[in-house]
Order: sequence, then C-alpha cells, then structure tokens
Amino acid sequence: MSVEVLKTKAEQGLADQFTAARSGLPGAGNAWAEGLRDAAWETYRSAGLPHRRIEEWKYTDLRALLRDAYPPAPALTEALTRDDISAALGPALAALDCHRLVVVNGQLRLELSDAGGLEGKGELLSLGDALGDPSDWLKQTLAQANPPRNDTVVALNTALMTGGAALRIADNVKLNKPVHIVHMLTSREAASVTTRNVVVVGAGAKVTLLESYVSHGTAPAQRNAVTELVAGDGSRVHHIKFQNENLETAHLTSWMTRLGADVTYDAFQFSLGARLARNQIFVAFAGEGSRSHVSGAVLARGRQHNDTTMVIDHGVPACESREFNKLVLDGSARGIVQCKAIVRKDAQKTDGHQMARALMLSEAAEFDSKPELEIFADDVVCGHGSTSGQVDEEHLFYLRARGIPEPQARALLIAAFIGEAIEKVENESIREAFLNFTGSWLAGEGA
Amino acid sequence: MLEIKNLHVKIADEDTEILKGIDLTLPKGEVHAIMGPNGSGKSTLAYVLAGKPDYEITGGTITWNGEDITGMSPDERAARGIFLAFQYPIEIPGVATMTFLRTSLNAVRKARGEEQLSTPEFMRVVREKADELKVSSDKLKRPLNVGFSGGEKKRQEILQMSLLEPTLCVLDETDSGLDIDALKIVADGVNALRGPERAMLVITHYQRLLNYIVPDKVHVLSNGKIVRTGGKELALELEKSGYAEFGEAAA
Repeated sequence: MSVEVLKTKAEQGLADQFTAARSGLPGAGNAWAEGLRDAAWETYRSAGLPHRRIEEWKYTDLRALLRDAYPPAPALTEALTRDDISAALGPALAALDCHRLVVVNGQLRLELSDAGGLEGKGELLSLGDALGDPSDWLKQTLAQANPPRNDTVVALNTALMTGGAALRIADNVKLNKPVHIVHMLTSREAASVTTRNVVVVGAGAKVTLLESYVSHGTAPAQRNAVTELVAGDGSRVHHIKFQNENLETAHLTSWMTRLGADVTYDAFQFSLGARLARNQIFVAFAGEGSRSHVSGAVLARGRQHNDTTMVIDHGVPACESREFNKLVLDGSARGIVQCKAIVRKDAQKTDGHQMARALMLSEAAEFDSKPELEIFADDVVCGHGSTSGQVDEEHLFYLRARGIPEPQARALLIAAFIGEAIEKVENESIREAFLNFTGSWLAGEGA
Repeated sequence: MLEIKNLHVKIADEDTEILKGIDLTLPKGEVHAIMGPNGSGKSTLAYVLAGKPDYEITGGTITWNGEDITGMSPDERAARGIFLAFQYPIEIPGVATMTFLRTSLNAVRKARGEEQLSTPEFMRVVREKADELKVSSDKLKRPLNVGFSGGEKKRQEILQMSLLEPTLCVLDETDSGLDIDALKIVADGVNALRGPERAMLVITHYQRLLNYIVPDKVHVLSNGKIVRTGGKELALELEKSGYAEFGEAAA
C-alpha cells in the first residue's frame, strides 16, 4: 500500500532519504527519539506529501510544486563567517542588540552565536545533541506542544530533523533583549534542511523571540522548519519571523504554540523571499484569560507563492484571538491566507476576529482568502473579514497634486498599506528594520 | 498668467460634456472668483486645472505662463506652481502628515531646481506656518487628515499651500463646512499669500467667502460656460438675486 501512496519523485526521494539516514540521525539509539521519528514516519508514509484534495492544502499542492527531494545539506562544508551572517541578514537586523543563536545547515552553531547573556536565565541546548540524551522538559515538549493531526509536513520534520535550538526560559525571567534565532543555509548545490526549535517560556517570563530565515548564496533549497513553543501561565511572548530566503527556495515552516493561562502571545511574520512559502501557525489555548494576536505582512512579486495558514484552537473559556494579515502582490504572485478558528464546547466568552487584506498591483496577481469558523460554544463573539483592492486612485491623485511623482506616490501608499501590519511589531529596532526592507522592496531591490 | 480658451471637457468614461467652451484670463497678482450654482462645472474646472485623470479635454487650451499644461501630469503642474485646495481633502490612513509634507515639499523643490530643506529647517518652517493657521502639533503627528473635522482639513490644505508657495492657487469651495472663526483663519492664510507674483482662482457657491477674500473679478459659471463677468459687486448682486436667472433657484 505504501508503495502506491508515495507516487511522485519527491515523495519517493524523501522515503529513500529517511531509509538511508535513519540510523545516523541525531538521537539514533535513544528509544524515545527513535519512537518519535518512527511514528512520524508512519504518518508521512501513509499519506505522502499534501496535495490539492487535502482541504488545508488546496491552494498549495506540494505534490505538484515539489518536483524533487533535494539531498540534506552537509553539516558545514566550508567556513561561514560572522560577516556572511550579517550580509545575509542585512545591516538593520545584523545590528540588532540581541541574544543571537545561529543555526546553519540544520545545526545550532554556538561558535557563531552570542548566547552568553542567556546564562542563568534558563537552559539552552543544541537539539541535535539533546535528542540522544533528552532532559525531562524536552521530552515533555517535543512533538507535544500543539501538534497538528495528520500534517505530513510536520511529520516529515519530526522524522528528518537534524537540530536547532532547544531553549527554556526560567519562571519570571524577563529578557530585555530579543532572542534571535538565525536560520541559514549554505550550499553550492541544491540542498534541503530540516530544523526544529523547542522553546519553553516559564510562568511569568517575558521574551521576544525573532526567527530569521535567510540564504547564503543562490543555490536551490528546500527548508522544513518547525518551532514548538509552550508559554507558561502569565508569560508574555513576542514571536516574530523574518523570511528573506532566495527565490529558489521552498520554505515550509510550522509554528506550534500552546498557551497557558493569562498569557499574552503576539506573533508576527514578515515574508519577502522564497519561491514557495507555506507559513503554518497553530495556536492552542490551554488556560483561561489569554490572548493571541497573530499578524503578518507579505510582499510578493514575480512568480512567488506565499501561503499563510493558521489554526487557532480555543479549548478553554475567556480567551481572545486576532489574526490580521496584509499582502502586497505584484507580477503573477499568489497570496493565500487561510485561518480556521475552532471554538470548543467549553470555550464560552471567546472573542475572536480575523482579517486579511490584499493590495493587488497587477492584473495577474492572485489572492485567495479562506476564513473558517467552527463554533461549538453558544456565548462567543467571532468575526472575519477579507478585502482585496488596488491602489486608491483618489489617494494617488491627491499626492500627485502635491507634486509627488507617480512612482513615489504609489510607493508611499503601498508602504502605508503594509505599514499598518508592520506597526504590530512592538520592538522598535525590528519594526524599523522591517520598514526598511519594505522600502528596499518597493525600490525594486531584494527578492 | 492663466489663459483658458474655449475649453471643452467631459468625464473620461462618459459622453456628457461638462465644460462647454470656457474662456478665462487670470493675470498674475489678481484674485478671481468663480461663482455658480451646483452642477455648473465649478469643481470640474478646478480638477481639470490640477490634472485629474478622470476628465478628458475634448477641445480648447489651458496655458499657464505661456506653457500649455493640458498634457502635463498633476505633479508636473504642481512643480510649475499650480496648487488645488480640495473641496474634500482626502484622508490617507498610514501616511504620516509630516512624512507627506516633507515628501511633497522636497519633490516640488527638487522639480523647481531648489535645494531640499534640512530636517531642522523643515521642522521650523512647518511649525511656524502651522502656528499661523492654528494647526496643533498633535494634528501634524496624525495620519494625513484621518479623523480631522472639515475645518481642520481645510486648514491643512492652506498649510500645504503656504509651504509649497504656488504661483497659481485654485481654491475649490474652501469655505464649505467652515464656521465663521475657521473661515477667518483660512481667509487670513490665503490673504497672506496674495502678491504680485501669485494668481488665485477662488471657487465658491456663496458670496460670504468673498467678504474675507476680496476678488478683483467675479465670473459666473452656469451650465459649463462663463455667462457673466464683473467686479466684486457682482457677488453681492448674486447674493441678493440668487442663481435663478442662471438656472437654479435661490440657494
């Protein structure tokens, strides 16, 4: 049966990779780690890559979009310097005052990181090393934070993950500087990388976690990245993603987040790069009185395909969720926003609202928006909205009547549109960096 | 000098002609008023002077300082000193007022071959002019015109006008929506800009504004044509008789 399920070259290639790599993957020999991988592998083997007949993937058919499975990137083929990392990040983010953790080709590289300031604040492990000798908190979290059922991309990640950061922030620790996990891929040839971060934020702790995904070079790449995050009671977490990978990259990321009681979780994803991007965000409320605000900004042109898919699961009463996404689509780019809000029977007093807005700069651009509400409780407030439109001609005329030439006036209005999303980023340095990237993108640079 | 000759204009996507042969000469240093009933084409004339793309010129010419401007983009006209104070200033969420003012002023200065202002110099000039127009610094921090009252929006228009120092000012119903105090502030702002190098076209439905901005000439626009031209006393006459003889009941 399995032979029939794995139909495409990429699906079979992934199967061959797992067979070849299984005994050499981190954690091999540890029964717990092997058990996780084998169970995940079974999920993949029985379903294959997601395709358009799977409802959640109807707009992003990986069977059609992934032709080959690229070989895993070698651990580190050549010397990568801090300058290379700065160049890939760009000056604004390279200058960010932060605790920097650098993950290259699937491994946390402490010699390239600046993690000293985290000492005494909790625990930082290289996930690749920790899989062979896992601590209790890792065992309790990995593949358990908020695992989506039957998501084969997440299953593939669990089966093939090579490493990443495992970070525990102790109770009541308030980090003044952001933790910045930089994910880089460096390879001369087409390569894949499968990384996993596990972050446990203690009760009453406060942290800003920025994840950057950038390329060193222009080789084609396939990235599968997962971050699992558990936010303890009363914690405050800002979780931000910056994605500026090269245009030959297929970028698949999944955030799986579980929130305790009275948590404030603000997530933001900024996407500029990659040929194909699927941004999955799964948030589960496990304690009362929490709020989750998930926002995003997408700038796409050419033939870029960017899919943001969210599942917000209200399992307990009195929580608030907001999803706010803005996309600027040019050329024949395709933008997708899907958000399913589930309000379970006991989740009374839920307050949920989602909004997706696209600004279309060309005739050939396409925007697909799919809100879904599954409500089983009777005392809730839930809503959704979606718009798409072009640059407002009245606004444009007003600016031009004040002497601003058309291209500049247009850029000002596009920046204003996307700026409304970027304003959600609380950290000023990161927000300014994103506004700068927007300016460069509008000037035709970058992706 | 502004010279409009036999100007015919229609809405770009429709057949209906709105301006049906306008002739108007406005020398530098003079203020002319255009008065007329609703639907006579007043706002269309204002938009056409500013270069709004929704209109199509089907005949005639508009020259400013001897140069035909009909083929020029709105920003090219602004660079040549043409300024339209909008009847309904546009709200633009997400564009900070100061960013807008700075971008606008720098674009115009650049097009005119002038130096861009340094940040401190720019701030000083804006504050000074904003004070004169009683525009609070709080308003300058907000997105452009968003949530402003009618009077606040009109003061923003005059602030922009005084910053850009245009040579042809077209004021489209600048008095609409203003109470008497706001009207005086706006009129003072406009009068401060009167000078030998500057021409002004003041479009209004009511005579009231012309008590404060006293015109050299008054033109009556009706059904797309200028049907009468006279001195400032013509406005008073219209105030008494209304536009009845020009096709509308007294306002």
